[in-house]
Amino acid sequence: MNHEMTLGLLILIPAFAGFACLLMPSLRTALGLMCAGVFGTAIIGLFAITSVLFEHHILYAAGQWLFMDALSAYNYFVMLLIFCLSSIYSCVYFRAEMEHHNLTINQIRLFTCLWCEALTAMTIVLLSNNLGIMWVGIEATTLITAFLICVHVSRESLEAMWKYILICSVGVAFAFMGTLLAAASAKGVAFGNHNALLWTTLRTNAAALNPTLIKAAFIFLLVGYGTKAGLAPMHTWLPDAHSQAPAPVSAIFSGFMLNAALYCVMRYVPIVETATGNSSWGLNLIAGFGIISIMTAAVFILFQTDLKRLLAYHSIEHLGIIALGLGLGGLGTFAALFHTLNHSLCKTLSFFAAGRLGQAIGGSHDMEKMNGSMRISPVWGIGIFCSILALIGIAPFALFISEFQLLKAAIDKGATVSLVLFLLGAGIVFIGALGHAIPLAWGRPHSTAPVSRASFVEFILVFAPLSILLLLGIWMPQPLQSALNASADVIRNTVSASASLQGGLP
Amino acid sequence: MDSTIEIIMILLVLSDMALLGLSRLRACISIVSFQGMLMGLLVLIAHSSSMTPRLIIIAAVSFMIKGFVFPYLLRRGIREAGTQHESEPFVGYIMSIISGVVMLGISLWLGEKLPLLAALSGSSLVIPAALTTLFTGLFLIVARRNALNQCLGYIILENGIYTVGVVSVVEIPFLVELGIMLDVFVAVFVMGIAIYNINREFDHLDSDRLNNLKG
Repeated sequence: MNHEMTLGLLILIPAFAGFACLLMPSLRTALGLMCAGVFGTAIIGLFAITSVLFEHHILYAAGQWLFMDALSAYNYFVMLLIFCLSSIYSCVYFRAEMEHHNLTINQIRLFTCLWCEALTAMTIVLLSNNLGIMWVGIEATTLITAFLICVHVSRESLEAMWKYILICSVGVAFAFMGTLLAAASAKGVAFGNHNALLWTTLRTNAAALNPTLIKAAFIFLLVGYGTKAGLAPMHTWLPDAHSQAPAPVSAIFSGFMLNAALYCVMRYVPIVETATGNSSWGLNLIAGFGIISIMTAAVFILFQTDLKRLLAYHSIEHLGIIALGLGLGGLGTFAALFHTLNHSLCKTLSFFAAGRLGQAIGGSHDMEKMNGSMRISPVWGIGIFCSILALIGIAPFALFISEFQLLKAAIDKGATVSLVLFLLGAGIVFIGALGHAIPLAWGRPHSTAPVSRASFVEFILVFAPLSILLLLGIWMPQPLQSALNASADVIRNTVSASASLQGGLP
Repeated sequence: MDSTIEIIMILLVLSDMALLGLSRLRACISIVSFQGMLMGLLVLIAHSSSMTPRLIIIAAVSFMIKGFVFPYLLRRGIREAGTQHESEPFVGYIMSIISGVVMLGISLWLGEKLPLLAALSGSSLVIPAALTTLFTGLFLIVARRNALNQCLGYIILENGIYTVGVVSVVEIPFLVELGIMLDVFVAVFVMGIAIYNINREFDHLDSDRLNNLKG
């Protein structure tokens, strides 16, 4: 298959599947078509990803407007993984809702359609070489997913939706200003106006860009995309949206939508660094936002009563950790990308569990009512407990390894302040979340609801991510390591940073 | 050509001030519609020396969407909600206008600080006017309670950014431009639907009373 077609199909398949979902006659066919669309995309996507990551090609299509290099391939892989898991889960989740007759055919048609279109929009973000189109993709994800929050119309979900659209649209509008300024900074550089917005062009000519304008651009971009990525202090929409959306939607929000926005920032990092003469100006800014996010989340995690809100604040913390890693550079970039995969997997699992446990106790996510979740549903109880343990960085899980690498990066760089604040934040989260998790797992159940039996599929949904996380915590496969290095090299400027990595991993 | 651009910029700033001082939502919408038409004209005038079919299409699309479609959507929103006035904004109207003047001052100062951007745009008024519009949009979003006014604020904010885009960056590819237009259009559309649902569910549009979710 030639590249032109592959990249085109990756965008077109989910787009068409989404529209076809609107025409489906029954709940089952709509969900089935949605899964078929997602898995079909995933199979083709894997071909493209292997060709990029292991054969070291860079795929171009549509006159260089679409491309896939190591960084986009790696992120695309994470996204496909999350979408495949969440699609299976949404079948399980909505089947339970159907049994309670909570769901009409129109709601499920809308859901499946928007689900596929959200996949399309995020694919466009990851594959576009044109920074303008990348912006269009991010804004499109906001608009498409807004309705996903409101699958069940209620006062709370409307409130969450309004905050989400307004805050994110305004934030992303700032990112648009940043994109314009970045294009303006290239004015007068001789590469013909036609290519001014192409990432590859800006990257190659980064040294010639106007430093003042690119700095101004980066501030706008960081605030704009940072809003969408849920970095504090622009995070206020995030806990509301995550807690009100149906569980599968929260899973993709947290599992990939936030990362997609951060991916956009990652794209600009090498440009800004080169244009400002490798002064780490941009990196420090990102690290600062990362630390603020970690600290903010740490404080709020202590006082949560709603399980999904708790998990939402965990997302803010982990996105902060990823941003901090990105800001440290060197090994930190590697750790940040590795942490992306770990966090996405773990957070997806925990939202799955929160959703199913909520259904088991009758549609609430109050942690008090969920006490003793091991007895309410053994499989999902283990799921939520282990995933919270993993989220707070307990040893054998992969999140511990990536956070450890991050610490190492901070020590290597001599960033003492970041190091101390990160440890402080992680410590508060550790204590706070553990305090929530223990009664959640073993407390005395409130309801006398019968123990809900989990099907085989649910069993797989819990233990597949958990075993991947455990495996990655103990042993890092060589292909993954080289893929991570290749994509980190796209962000990093210096070659020496990547050389120091070889064999230096735990 | 330059003097025409400057006239448009002055009209832009004046319409910002009017928006800050008006309480009747219907009048606010008319002003946003007027600003939208200005945006369409701006595209034509800023590039009048090199007119291409591409430019004419973009100008026409933005003239129609911002000048007619948005106002139509918003007016329908008002009709359904039955609210005519902003009830007790957080910041009074006199104070709003004074803040508007302060924002204009800050924008002029920032425009001086970014000489390169001003040089690109060819007129020293463009950047201050665009920034004033951007700040006005933000101000409306923060200082007004009514969800409809916040939606207007978003449109104004977008207009401000659009002005910078039109005047200072010559070549945004056609497809990107259309994508952006589509996104903004859908954003306002989605906000319209959200407003409709909020009104149906809550019987009011006061966004500060949307406060069930906390912490």
